[in-house]
Amino acid sequence: MADIVSTQAKATPRPRRRSKISAYETRTAFLFLLPSLLGFLAFMLIPIIASFGLSFTNWQLLAPPQFVGFSNYIRLLTTDPAFFTVLGNTLFFTVEYLVLNIVISLTLAVWISSLKRGQRWFRVIFFIPTFTPTIAVSIVWLLIFTPGGVMDYVFQTLALHIPNLLLDGKLAMQAVIIVTLWASVGYNMVLFNAALDLVPQSYLEAAKIDGASAWDRFWKIRLPLISPTVFFGTVMTAITSLQVFDQIYVITRGGPGSSTATLGFAIYTNGFQNYQMGFASSLAWVMFVMIMALTGFQFWLQRKWVHYDS
Amino acid sequence: MKTLKHLAAIALMSTSLVASAFAQDQVNLTWQMWGSNENDIAAWQHLADMVTEVHPEIKVTMQTAAWNDYWTKLPVLAASGQLGDIVAMQSLRMPNFYSILEPLNARIAADSFDIGAFDSSIIGGMSANDEVYGLPYDVGPWMMFYNKDMFDAAGVEYPKPGWTFDDYVTTAKALTKDGNYGAGITPQNYSLFTAALGASYINADGQLDLTNADAVAAAAKMIDLVVTDKAAPVVASGADPGAFISGRFDAGNIGMYVDGPWAMIGKIDTVKFKIGLAPLPRGTGDLAAVTAGSGFGISASSQNKEAAWKAIQVLTSPEALTYLASQGRALPARTAQQGTWYDVAAADVSGAREALEYSLAHSATYKITSNWNAVENLFNQYFPLAFAGSATAEQTMQSIQSLAASQ
Repeated sequence: MADIVSTQAKATPRPRRRSKISAYETRTAFLFLLPSLLGFLAFMLIPIIASFGLSFTNWQLLAPPQFVGFSNYIRLLTTDPAFFTVLGNTLFFTVEYLVLNIVISLTLAVWISSLKRGQRWFRVIFFIPTFTPTIAVSIVWLLIFTPGGVMDYVFQTLALHIPNLLLDGKLAMQAVIIVTLWASVGYNMVLFNAALDLVPQSYLEAAKIDGASAWDRFWKIRLPLISPTVFFGTVMTAITSLQVFDQIYVITRGGPGSSTATLGFAIYTNGFQNYQMGFASSLAWVMFVMIMALTGFQFWLQRKWVHYDS
Repeated sequence: MKTLKHLAAIALMSTSLVASAFAQDQVNLTWQMWGSNENDIAAWQHLADMVTEVHPEIKVTMQTAAWNDYWTKLPVLAASGQLGDIVAMQSLRMPNFYSILEPLNARIAADSFDIGAFDSSIIGGMSANDEVYGLPYDVGPWMMFYNKDMFDAAGVEYPKPGWTFDDYVTTAKALTKDGNYGAGITPQNYSLFTAALGASYINADGQLDLTNADAVAAAAKMIDLVVTDKAAPVVASGADPGAFISGRFDAGNIGMYVDGPWAMIGKIDTVKFKIGLAPLPRGTGDLAAVTAGSGFGISASSQNKEAAWKAIQVLTSPEALTYLASQGRALPARTAQQGTWYDVAAADVSGAREALEYSLAHSATYKITSNWNAVENLFNQYFPLAFAGSATAEQTMQSIQSLAASQ
């Protein structure tokens, strides 16, 4: 904000030349942005608008869509027996996964930054799953979790009485969370680790001399200083976890029962398995509104805990 | 001078004829086909090449997708106007998809094409409202595949035509030992077993009816085999339970499982044991062996319908079906060619001919609802809870019934 104000202030005495340059620059910038803009229009904005239109129709793909007004939304909120289960599953996944992801990645980042040597190696090791395709990761984990698979064997050998995760309605979501954590904790870990390295050493040394414990140094100096990065990580992780699909598609297909059916999976099932594109679009818009609301809420919350040190 | 003019005229005519012949001739057709593995795709490619052999001016290019993905892709292609000229269609899906296909009755009559050479039940399966929409390549009942070596090792009698579900359970229990299971069942086997037992999961109005006493009892029989008798492995809700079960059968870990004549392709070379075949087990009454088949239709939006019509005649010709039968990919829809399947593909499979003939003699239509895709997905999601022992057959059927009603 301050930057913009000062630019305007400087610009006032020589308005003509300034605007000429900026118009020229705008054109150049536009040209450079064009490839990405075209992609955004073709694959994001137009489909998003189209799906909004489709959400008011009944479209079974083989015949042209028919306008049905709000009936998809009414069906979703009143008669559809699966919608609230799906919504609950999605929120359950998001909350548990988000908390675990932030806690684990932050712990790992702090631990790695405290290492005297091998920091780079550990960063790479934990980051590898992030750039492995989720589908491939999920197939490997499916073989581990499958009834009679490696996991069952380990539990049996250790004489633990844990039922197979994929067969238990209450535990199946935990399997999905474990896979997702394994696959994506590395991303936030690298972010947080980089932010921790930027915390000025002098602050920490000064605190140490004053007798602050390692615990205090973390909570009172390091965490507040990296809070903008933690905020970014939290927002992005929340958005991706509300959209969870790949792992569920491969590992559980929404089952057993409806215990792992999330919004993303329900959109796929209704659209591409049951051929109800209109209804699937209305689900997609519910998901969109939810993500917008949650992100807005997080931005409102950030005033309470994020410190911008500038 | 006159002769020169004549000659020139003839030369002109012939060049224009040749040119127009070339221009007309080269037709490229796209063929929408399913194919789950390389054996499968190689067999279909062989058929595509047969078309070019018979009609050198036609070139057929395949676009394959795995079975489940095929049914995701097909309506999307149709909706976006990108459907190929030739479309593979299964009899069960015909009621939902015939609107994207070209009606064939007029062409059949015009060419006096001999439709009587095909099994009449599958011509019915390829039709809607008395109009034929596709030429079939195969027909076949689901049957019980069994591992003969495992039976010999356990000293258990092979299943025979006319065996009952109780025999099936007893056999499965006797085979279950040393980490191997006597039977393998998937949630999607439910409709096949229910029909075989003489029960009905669809009422007289064609609506899903999973909660009638017989339909629940059939589910309970399947669930008991897993939960009480522990004679079949538990399948989780996942991508492809059918592939899990057939994979474990091929590995010699399961004694019996349900599949069709089309599954014989590559099977004998893959497995390290002798395979046997039997019809599905019946209930107290006669067996009702559910039968399905597939064929090829012409896309209603095709620009090359005439060429596509020629092509699908080749794809379902006696030569093509003999080839598919010898590969074990299909039991031919043409009755005269069916022998090749028993004599070549299933030559080493004991009981193949008896099992097929018995099943065909007791064949029944596979009944489905218009949202069958959704129903099968619900089977896959809800049966695992029952297999794990945390839901009864009745609860399972009620859940599926109520969720399917809304889809």
